[in-house]
Amino acid sequence: MVAKSDRVSDGDALDLDLAHFAIDYARKVGASYADARLEATVVNGFVLKNGVPQVAGFDRVSGLGLRVVIKGTLGFASTNILSRENLKRVVERAVKVTSAASSIGEKVRFSPEGAAVASYDVKQKVKIADLSPKEKLKVLFDAEKAIKAAKVNVPGRFFSMSDFYAEKYFVNTEGSKVLSRIPRTDFWYFLTVEEGGRTAQRYWQYGAAGGFETIYNHGFPELLASEVKATHSNLKKAVVAPKEKVDLVVAPQITGIMVHESVGHPYEADRVLGREAAQAGESFINAGMLGTRIGSDAVNIVDDPTIPGSFGYYLYDDEGVKARERWLIKRGIITELLHNRETSAIMGGRSNGSARATGYDREPIVRMANSIVKPGNYTEAELIESVKFGVFIKNFMEWNIDDKRLNAKYTGAEAFMIRNGRLAEPVWRPTIEVSTPKLWGSVDAVAGNMEFHAGTCGKAEPMQAIPVWFGGPSMRIRNLKLSF
Amino acid sequence: MKTVGKSSDIESRQSIAAHAVRQLRKKGADDVVVSASSDEIAQLKFSNSRISTTQSWQSERLNIFLAIDKRLVSTSIREMSAAAADDAIARMLKFAKAAVPNKEYSGIASGPFSYNDIKDTYDPAIVELGEGAVDVLKSAIDVAHRNGAKRTAGILEMHSNSAYLLTSGGVEAEDRGTKAYFSLRAFVDKYASGHHTCNSRVLRKFTPEASAERAAVIAKQAVSPKSGEPGIYDVIFAPLPFANLLESVGKAASIFNVESKLSCFAGKLGKKVGSEGVTLVDDATLPNGFDSVKFDEEGVPTQRNVIIEKGVLKTYLHNTSTARRHKVKTTANAGLVAPTPFNLVLQNGNLNKEEMIRQVKRGLIVTNVWYTRFQNYEAGDFSTIPRDGIFLVENGKVTGPVKELRISDNLIRILQGISAVGSEQEQVFGWEVEVPTSTPSVLVKGVKVTKSVE
Repeated sequence: MVAKSDRVSDGDALDLDLAHFAIDYARKVGASYADARLEATVVNGFVLKNGVPQVAGFDRVSGLGLRVVIKGTLGFASTNILSRENLKRVVERAVKVTSAASSIGEKVRFSPEGAAVASYDVKQKVKIADLSPKEKLKVLFDAEKAIKAAKVNVPGRFFSMSDFYAEKYFVNTEGSKVLSRIPRTDFWYFLTVEEGGRTAQRYWQYGAAGGFETIYNHGFPELLASEVKATHSNLKKAVVAPKEKVDLVVAPQITGIMVHESVGHPYEADRVLGREAAQAGESFINAGMLGTRIGSDAVNIVDDPTIPGSFGYYLYDDEGVKARERWLIKRGIITELLHNRETSAIMGGRSNGSARATGYDREPIVRMANSIVKPGNYTEAELIESVKFGVFIKNFMEWNIDDKRLNAKYTGAEAFMIRNGRLAEPVWRPTIEVSTPKLWGSVDAVAGNMEFHAGTCGKAEPMQAIPVWFGGPSMRIRNLKLSF
Repeated sequence: MKTVGKSSDIESRQSIAAHAVRQLRKKGADDVVVSASSDEIAQLKFSNSRISTTQSWQSERLNIFLAIDKRLVSTSIREMSAAAADDAIARMLKFAKAAVPNKEYSGIASGPFSYNDIKDTYDPAIVELGEGAVDVLKSAIDVAHRNGAKRTAGILEMHSNSAYLLTSGGVEAEDRGTKAYFSLRAFVDKYASGHHTCNSRVLRKFTPEASAERAAVIAKQAVSPKSGEPGIYDVIFAPLPFANLLESVGKAASIFNVESKLSCFAGKLGKKVGSEGVTLVDDATLPNGFDSVKFDEEGVPTQRNVIIEKGVLKTYLHNTSTARRHKVKTTANAGLVAPTPFNLVLQNGNLNKEEMIRQVKRGLIVTNVWYTRFQNYEAGDFSTIPRDGIFLVENGKVTGPVKELRISDNLIRILQGISAVGSEQEQVFGWEVEVPTSTPSVLVKGVKVTKSVE
């Protein structure tokens, strides 16, 4: 799937010399460090609303993002006007403003990392560029047909599908040169099911790195038909959730969102250092908590950008640092935070390759890629069998968490009572409202049924909505009171 | 920061736009909309009271929308040349040929129109500020510290823009604008914080120091919060958090969201959706309105639309195509696909904050919220998390800060529970409020508040 070489060849749509020109000129006019990302992305997008195709869009986005360090302060500038004369102006302006800002600027240091020279790409089995709009729209019409055939009243049917082919060239003044070509696909649906004058809604997203085969592989017709049937059954038959303490079994979609919100985000070192304080917030975690317990022995959590085919896939981050698996929690102990070169220099150590930007026009900041609970030795069936009286939550709709990532809420959508080790009647909106340490301390068993789910994670200002996977297996959570 | 949209740029954009409209019409297009824009943005991002990054963005784009036999295609080009436009046109026509018709599409507006200038939407002083922004920020951070903040974080941003629109419906329009935006979150300690934002289209009405002071004062009052108790409270929402909820109300008024079941206003036209005190307007002609603009995406002159009047839902937001389909007039809120609000305004009431507090027996003052998420958009069921200072009110008096609470309620119920609207309006825009929204503080009765289980 991945081809790597030491030599960087030309990008298909990129004039690589422009990136070198920009950093060389930055050095010339006073930058102690500079890097540039030259990017060209082809995007196609389709929307089907209640069976009617909305506007179809295609776009070619290209531009250059530049970082400079001037008098110790970091500056970022971007443009989509790629003449050399204009690049000079952009660099000069960045130098001037950053120089003035240095009077009250933080003094930036980067962790020492070797120069990376690499190129890699993700292969497509079904090439995105080979399919016509009609062939792509067929996926949405097939989904529409499958829902109609399910014989459930679904008055709201909204599908959105996009594909991307992103070429990116990173260079810095330390000698790094990394060229990547990554195709991605993204599909999300929003369904409203009606029964007896009441409605229930479900939203979910599927995303991957690869060609259009990734869209076909999801099997949307069957998946959506079963989604509307399950939502309808829940709407029609669900009972009120139990008020007493119960054992819970949560399926991979719930595991995934729990990992992303209450582990991935608070472990972003820029949040720990206050860098995101006025936007996505800070963290209850601090550097002194490394090595301390946050969950039970059953809890093992990693974030790994290198999972082949993943939505958050990359092999080198947007500072040219080689990506690797990061162990955030090992047997319940906090082991590692997510770092870029700046946060790792402040907290001591090396970057673990977590710097990402959503495009050439955004600064790279610390992000998750694919955050997952590692599989355990049980099966999901064994977890359910082990519960005498409890609730199984398969998926959710509403969720949120405070900006230090200490108190979260997950409201179930498809869910069932567990009675004497068997799934029983559907349950209406079982709501978990719990603190992060209490949650991970209450997980006592983890199954092996790994699933990966796609999300678009928001952070920074202006907003950077970035593709990620989150997931894991089903988990058992002991002795928790549901919220009302 | 340099002035964008110099006359030579505009000329070339105009000629390329004219070329694109002409070529596409020649090839059989029914409707063509070409919009060109240039943007220059400069930002100072700060944390721990020091600038962590300077940022700047420069972009030029030409968007083309095409309708041919009800097949709708959009694209944009970045290179301002007739050759790039020709390439885009060829690809659009190929794309349209293989697309599927949208039977609901009903065309774009027929112009030409005349446009009125909107007061206080452009200020050369913002364009020329340049690195002078560093001193503006320094002063604001100093004010926060003088008022008790131990550290601050946020954004100071200056934006200038020029826009040009040409359509096959006979529309030709131009606008330009400037914007200044400031957001500051002040901390006294990790669990005592306050947030305030301000924005303006002209520098003389831009008040970052006042925002810094207000954020710091909230943070200072929020020190040593007690763990809050779940239950039913009367809640006084400050403008910042109530703008967050009103943004959901404004978006729910878009006919696109109504049709997509993403709105709690379906079937409620002419019906009571809020209390008597609720009059909500969308006004793209608002002087100094952060998103005020002379024309919408198809070139219709923008107007003031009353969405909710004394609690009654009066209109959905439309473009020409959706309006024709629903047999009403456009409200000039295009979005060519999805109509959207520009500047939401909740009309003032007559109580000041102290009078509001005196009305509350057991309540909360909420100064900020984030992470508003819906369980069911059509029903309006949602929750949101208060952040920064939350204050307990007992028997008409503020008795101290609390923490770790969540509002879990329903949007229509919130609107119907409004028992008092304040007299001092603030225009809010920020990380959690993308549609500029002017609102005073609001008192809502009987709000459901939850928290994590023990």
